Amino acid sequence: MSGQILGASFRDPSGFLFTRAGKLYRQVNQAYRPDYDLLLSSGLYQRLVSEGLLISHAEATVEPADPGPAYKIIAPEVLAFVSYPYEWSFSQYKDAALATLKIQKIALEYGMSLKDASAYNIQFHRGRPILIDTLSFEINKEGKPWVAYRQFCQHFMAPLALMAYRDVRLNQLLRVYIDGIPLDLASRLLPRHALLNFGLFSHIFLHARAQQTYADKAVEKPKINIGMSKQALLGLIESLESTVRRLKWNPGGTEWGNYYEITNYTDAAFVHKKQLVSEWMERIKPKIAWDLGANTGIFSRLASQAGGYTIAFDVDPAAVEQNYRQVKVDKEQSMLPLILDLTNPSPAIGWYNRERHSLGERGPVDVVLALALIHHLAISNNVPFSQLAEFFYDMCHWLVIEFVPKSDSQVQKLLKSREDIFTQYAQGDFEEIFEERFDIREVVKVRESERYLYLMERRKDFQK
Amino acid sequence: MHYSPIPLTSLPSILAYLDPGTGSIIIQVIIAALLGGGILLRTFWKKIFRKKSKPEDTTAESPSEVTSKGDQS
Repeated sequence: MSGQILGASFRDPSGFLFTRAGKLYRQVNQAYRPDYDLLLSSGLYQRLVSEGLLISHAEATVEPADPGPAYKIIAPEVLAFVSYPYEWSFSQYKDAALATLKIQKIALEYGMSLKDASAYNIQFHRGRPILIDTLSFEINKEGKPWVAYRQFCQHFMAPLALMAYRDVRLNQLLRVYIDGIPLDLASRLLPRHALLNFGLFSHIFLHARAQQTYADKAVEKPKINIGMSKQALLGLIESLESTVRRLKWNPGGTEWGNYYEITNYTDAAFVHKKQLVSEWMERIKPKIAWDLGANTGIFSRLASQAGGYTIAFDVDPAAVEQNYRQVKVDKEQSMLPLILDLTNPSPAIGWYNRERHSLGERGPVDVVLALALIHHLAISNNVPFSQLAEFFYDMCHWLVIEFVPKSDSQVQKLLKSREDIFTQYAQGDFEEIFEERFDIREVVKVRESERYLYLMERRKDFQK
Repeated sequence: MHYSPIPLTSLPSILAYLDPGTGSIIIQVIIAALLGGGILLRTFWKKIFRKKSKPEDTTAESPSEVTSKGDQS
């Protein structure tokens, strides 16, 4: 075998992803040939790609990574960034679920059906959810139930119901349960009044009960032809769709929602900061930018406007939700808001810890924006400057970082109820420590504020 | 094709690379039968409704009427 087979690509015998010479390919196996051929010949592929629901691909003439079972090699369009369901806001999650069901409904029109409904098969591409697994379709046999129903309920219905009915942070359970939230757990966590929702009652509560009932029972081989008619199958999909559609969550008491109003920024300082970031982005012209602690993405948009695909991370699900709604309204194609707790970033999870990548494995990027951030990491989370510098050095080439001095009211607020053990938290120490790994290209005091904005570039001569 | 009511001790042979789950298959067949019935009923009612309301709808949307309205304005 030649080429590096991707860690998440081992379950489905239909094929797998691999990289060779830095390019991404998908091997389609002989076992999947009839399904692949129908996907293309039926017009389903064309329809889904034209509606922006399926990633496009081109057939490639490269050597297969595993020639034995190989039928074809395809080169899928490459994504700018791979995100995971535990990083999505409520509406992103909901849109991903609705996209999956829409794809399934269209597939049924063409005599095909989704054989899996994994949330990890959906990615955000140009601002919209898209299916990235070309091999997810199978020829639909009339009368066959939906084999991905269990997976859909665990990967989409349960997390969304918990987010809407209990707490929006509960999609974090996906970090633990890689195959979706177990339905018995979801049933226990959902409030009683969720039982009144017919969709949730049937797709989660009854479903969980049925799973329990049949968990250890031996089931006889079929004696007669049982199954479901196309009408029944469509009824099921439509029920899932209307249940998901009715789940709602609105960002109310957001932690940072009005951050820009409560900082000690004057209008002049805010404008100056925007102008500086904008100028530097035009100068760097990043291909990919990460804005860490992006709030609703005001500064992230300066990076995306300079042409870079920008990931706007924030710990607050409400801020990310607002940002995503903005992306939808403005049909932005190069902005991806995501939830991330920098003090405990997304880890590598799954089999061998190789299925889903950690944040670090998805970097480094051209530029990281760390605006009004380090005081939270250095003071609230006690991270020394040396470790912050090390982290940023691993994550980016360019760094736009704001130094917020101790005298700043935001820092004073963080220190209000605790002992000030941060003797090293001073601008001189900050510069000295960061200069070991970065060259400081620009330092500008933000007008009408005590804060400083730095443009730093990774040092090539730094030896670890 | 004929579909009989579901005897809960037997399952169609479902070949899938992921375990669809016995309980998940059984419950979806039951839910789907109920919902599918609903859809059938809905389609039936729609047909009846459409048949009844069709003549009125056609008059209202007839091109001649649209044109005459346009002429008046």
